[in-house]
Amino acid sequence: MTDLILYNVSNGLIIGAFYVLMALGLSLILNLSGVINFAHGGFLALGGYFAYTLAPYIGFWGALLVSPLLVALLGLILERTMIHRLYGRDPLYSLLLTFGLAFIFEDVTRAVWGATGLPFTVPDFLTKPLSSQFFFVTGYRLFMIAVVAIAVGGLFLFLRFSRLGVRIRAGTFDLDTVSTLGVNVKMLRSFNFALGIFLAGLAGVLAGGQLSLEPTMGANLLMPSFVAIIVGGVGSLPGTLLGGLLIGVAAGLTAVFWPAASDAVIYVMMAVVLLLRPRGLLGEEGLLT
Amino acid sequence: MTPTIDRSKYVTLGVIWLLLLTMPYWLPMVGGYMALGTRVVIMGLAAMSLNFLLGFTGVLSFGHAAFFGLGAYGTGLALKYFTHSTPLALVLGVLLGGIAGAVLGALIVRRRGVYFAMVTIAFGQVFYFIAFRWNSLTGGDDGLRGFERQPIDFGVWQADILHRPILFYYFVLLLFAIGTGAMGFLLRSPFGRTLLAIRENERRARFLGVPIEQHIWLSFSLSCFFVALAGGMYALLNNFADPTMLNYTQSGEIVIMIVLGGIRSFWGPLIGAAIFVVLQDYLSSLTTNWMSFLGTIFVLMVLFFPRGVLGLNWTEMFRSVLGRSRQTRPQEGGNLS
Amino acid sequence: MNMLEVQNVTKAFGSLVAVSDVTLHVAPGEMRAVIGPNGAGKTTFFNLISGFFPPTSGRIVFDGKDVTTEPAYRRVATGMARTFQITEIFPELTVRENVNIAAEVALGYRLKPWLSAQQAAGVKARVDEVMELTGLESKARRLVGELSHGDQRVAEIAMSLALSPRLLLLDEPTAGMGEQETEEITQLVRRLHKENNYSIVLIEHDMQIVFHLADRITVLDQGHLLAEGTPEEIANNEAVQAAYLGKTE
Repeated sequence: MTDLILYNVSNGLIIGAFYVLMALGLSLILNLSGVINFAHGGFLALGGYFAYTLAPYIGFWGALLVSPLLVALLGLILERTMIHRLYGRDPLYSLLLTFGLAFIFEDVTRAVWGATGLPFTVPDFLTKPLSSQFFFVTGYRLFMIAVVAIAVGGLFLFLRFSRLGVRIRAGTFDLDTVSTLGVNVKMLRSFNFALGIFLAGLAGVLAGGQLSLEPTMGANLLMPSFVAIIVGGVGSLPGTLLGGLLIGVAAGLTAVFWPAASDAVIYVMMAVVLLLRPRGLLGEEGLLT
Repeated sequence: MTPTIDRSKYVTLGVIWLLLLTMPYWLPMVGGYMALGTRVVIMGLAAMSLNFLLGFTGVLSFGHAAFFGLGAYGTGLALKYFTHSTPLALVLGVLLGGIAGAVLGALIVRRRGVYFAMVTIAFGQVFYFIAFRWNSLTGGDDGLRGFERQPIDFGVWQADILHRPILFYYFVLLLFAIGTGAMGFLLRSPFGRTLLAIRENERRARFLGVPIEQHIWLSFSLSCFFVALAGGMYALLNNFADPTMLNYTQSGEIVIMIVLGGIRSFWGPLIGAAIFVVLQDYLSSLTTNWMSFLGTIFVLMVLFFPRGVLGLNWTEMFRSVLGRSRQTRPQEGGNLS
Repeated sequence: MNMLEVQNVTKAFGSLVAVSDVTLHVAPGEMRAVIGPNGAGKTTFFNLISGFFPPTSGRIVFDGKDVTTEPAYRRVATGMARTFQITEIFPELTVRENVNIAAEVALGYRLKPWLSAQQAAGVKARVDEVMELTGLESKARRLVGELSHGDQRVAEIAMSLALSPRLLLLDEPTAGMGEQETEEITQLVRRLHKENNYSIVLIEHDMQIVFHLADRITVLDQGHLLAEGTPEEIANNEAVQAAYLGKTE
């Protein structure tokens, strides 16, 4: 029983790590540009598929870096050509636009790579179990956790200490003031969008090695990411981090005792949080509400 | 309201109802079939119901598919397990969707804008997962089967809506008339005007003495009841309900119908629904990649025609074609929050 | 009994104290002006009175009733109406529809799905009265969003009047207006005060208007009550002069 629980908690943490990467990207974009990016899951899937296609040529490690960059570039192009036109408009329109993009992504992915799951091979040394007792602690899982930790740590350091990062944070609270200080808000938002998409692409590569590649793999992670943001508190990136891990573990634990409810439990958590603390665990009142 | 506007309103109303009432007779001539027409009317009601909230209260719910789907499952389950009365099953479906909406609404009514949209999406998914996972009751991924709409007995005459699609169409149209009539009536009432007030300027409405949360909650709940009615009829149409009806993609489709038709227009969503349903039917028969086409339509719509087909200034376009022009008032369709 | 008693109210946003220990009494039928340099806390003070947010400490008594914790919409029901510094209207509705909504809410019909003929007549009578009083009849069918800035202001005041308030709170009614428009609004406010006997609290920038209209003046500076008195007393008050000279307007 202890093994089972540990197994599922570790599963939950892995899933939570995906939620975190995905939700942090969503949060970045939502906070600075007020756009709920429905296509985020599509970008994630593309990240996985790009890596799948590139790996034979540039190896796993090359793909791990290049694929997210390519996805971010695509995100940048879409932001520059379409999404930026909707900033400041009713959120309805950016929602619908990214919703349409999500449709297109899923369909194109299916047309190019097929609807059935594709295996994505990771280097051998990463797949072996590290301990015979805890068979589920594979090197790949630890590796994944490490990559996510580095990415998240890097993101927070970047936002805290770099000039660009500080501007992104400041823009979250008061974009007008930031723009009157002479910051190029247009560039800031584009960069921020690409950064968010990069995280989705990275999550896609990692997910490819753990789950398997499917056109809908990103869309399936989208809703839990929303929940992570709401539970953690809209507007707060540390909140999103906390929310993602919490709901991952909660879903993992529920899978032990009542597998059928493991999808729904995170929504129950969200309801409880909204009832007891409407702004979310680490959210600030008044922001985006 | 100037008399000319009123007159054009009556003309629009007359044309719409004439087309709807005679649909079974002209639809086959233009290549349609009865179930398609019925689907248009049902989705039209769904879109108009959501637009009661979105277009006339200014609140964006992106989770209405949940209540649409609950209406469908409620109706289907009632027919399968409790009753042979189609109307009673519908009532139960509507109650299920409507009450779920009212309870959820109470929980989220203080949220606004993007946040409200996100919370509605996420909560909507709860019901999706319930339908998806509760195999023994709902049939899970395969959907709910094993029920059929039952003939309605009027004593002297029995309306066999099961075997005569045309009768089912008129049954649907009758409920559509009741639903849209009720919404139209409410929007012209003092209560409806407070909703417009909230849409136009929430702060002003609050300081005129309107308790905003209470009114938004009422609007949300009403909208859920009507959308559940549409969902119930949808289940009757197909004698089937499946989990994707509750999914957020379904919500997105209802929202795009509204935007296609024109968000500020009462009847616009019906037209949007007609365009969407027919297009979807046509595209999916034509290509397996219809999702791309649909997605492209979303994108083009948002980028180039955010006011929908009724938001386009048709009169002005005709005038300019005829070489005459007149100053008309600007219509702002962009900002609802 | 006073119409409005604000007793030692303080409002802090985190560490920033926007209004500090301010007391104000307004008698029935009085026209009170609240003035002060930019950042003096005038609008925050107004927001406290009208129930935009609750005070951190202190009490607000309106017409003998403690309304300190009452939400805004209930204060409106007890007879308090306000306008905003940046005009708040329903831009896509006509002038008459704007006023009509206010009248229906004020008469307690906000949840009604229909009105009886008698009730509808009551609403109409009130709307007609307000339209006449504010001189908006000729623009009744135009969209408020299309009107000039000055007329939008008047429309906003008309909406407030349709609430049949006993206390009108006007936040800089002449802000951003031309000379002609300023004069018209000033005349309207004076009429409301003198002929219709409304109690009015007014925030105003334009000193000429203030000294012309007000019975008494309250001066705020950096969130504190600096002085209170008749226009003459205030004009001769050294602390007030210092505050205004120190911060060039």
